Amino acid sequence: MAEHSCIHEPDVLAAVLSRRWEHASDQLKEHAESCEICCDVVTIAQLLSSDQERARYEARVPAAGQVWWRAAVRVRLEAAQAVARPLTWVHGIAGACAVGVACAVIGMAWPSLRELASWLTFETFGVDSGMADVAAFVTAAMQRSLPLAFVVAACIVLAPVALYFALTDD
Amino acid sequence: MSNGMRELALTDMERAGAFEDAERTFQMTEEAFRLFYEQTARPVWVYLARTTGDDRLADDLLQETYYRFLRTRTTFESDDHRRHYLFRIATNLVRDQWRRARTDAVDLGEALDVPEAGEDNAVGEHALRRIDVTRALDQLKPRERSLLWLAYAQGFSHEEIASQLGLRTGSLKALLFRARRRLVSVLGDRYRSGGRRG
Repeated sequence: MAEHSCIHEPDVLAAVLSRRWEHASDQLKEHAESCEICCDVVTIAQLLSSDQERARYEARVPAAGQVWWRAAVRVRLEAAQAVARPLTWVHGIAGACAVGVACAVIGMAWPSLRELASWLTFETFGVDSGMADVAAFVTAAMQRSLPLAFVVAACIVLAPVALYFALTDD
Repeated sequence: MSNGMRELALTDMERAGAFEDAERTFQMTEEAFRLFYEQTARPVWVYLARTTGDDRLADDLLQETYYRFLRTRTTFESDDHRRHYLFRIATNLVRDQWRRARTDAVDLGEALDVPEAGEDNAVGEHALRRIDVTRALDQLKPRERSLLWLAYAQGFSHEEIASQLGLRTGSLKALLFRARRRLVSVLGDRYRSGGRRG
């Protein structure tokens, strides 16, 4: 099995990372020159640690207050989203219930509405006038257009709900 | 971007509320955070920049690292423990980045500020060294980059590195050995025995 480490490696690494390699004992330096593992450690540790020192000096990190502030705002937004999530569901369910109730009411009231339309036509135009044909026509038109009117009303109710679900982030 | 827009749209009351939420949610006070951040932000940023090879990505990951750190419920035994935990978060974020498909390669010419010819020799030498290191690290596997940086730039112990990368301590020496060999071979003879040789 190949050797992957050397017993002097920790001493060599400590000397390099503490910037004392130039002042390390001759014995350790001689060992590093003859040991392939320690030689690699010296090479890489010197390169990476000096690069890190330089990069730390040059790094432009945001101010602590800015990082704190962004984190605080994010907490706030996530909390608001967590609260809004069940509300979104409630809104959706309430909208669906409202549409269902509206349909049920319309279904139940449909015969009465037809009678009302007939009665209104009769009262307005009378039966003996020449307007009887017109009355019949208006009654039929109203009866035909009522379902269309209910569909339009349902769309008006449902459109904001659909938009809400489409545009919400969740 | 949408978060940024909403941040701007916050009212004064929401701002005050945000700070109250933060004080309740975060595991340290703002003052303690400032001290900790001053000590750790630069090394963490450099680690993120070197292991991802992308300075702008490092900016984003730095913010995310501290956000996750602030929200943790872990009890820390010492400052070292706290610092190692921070690097562990950073390592996990970098690992998540590796898992995502990288859409574009890093343009070294754009990512690095190379001084103009004629500037101070030492500065030029550092810039060249930085390019060499970045290019060399770029040719290593992501885990090898982290291993080498944590061991030879941060000086973490094998146990600490194994804990951060989710590896067994027993296998770490062999992994470090292979990563070292690869980096040395990528760097070439110019860096043998420490100095850059032109």
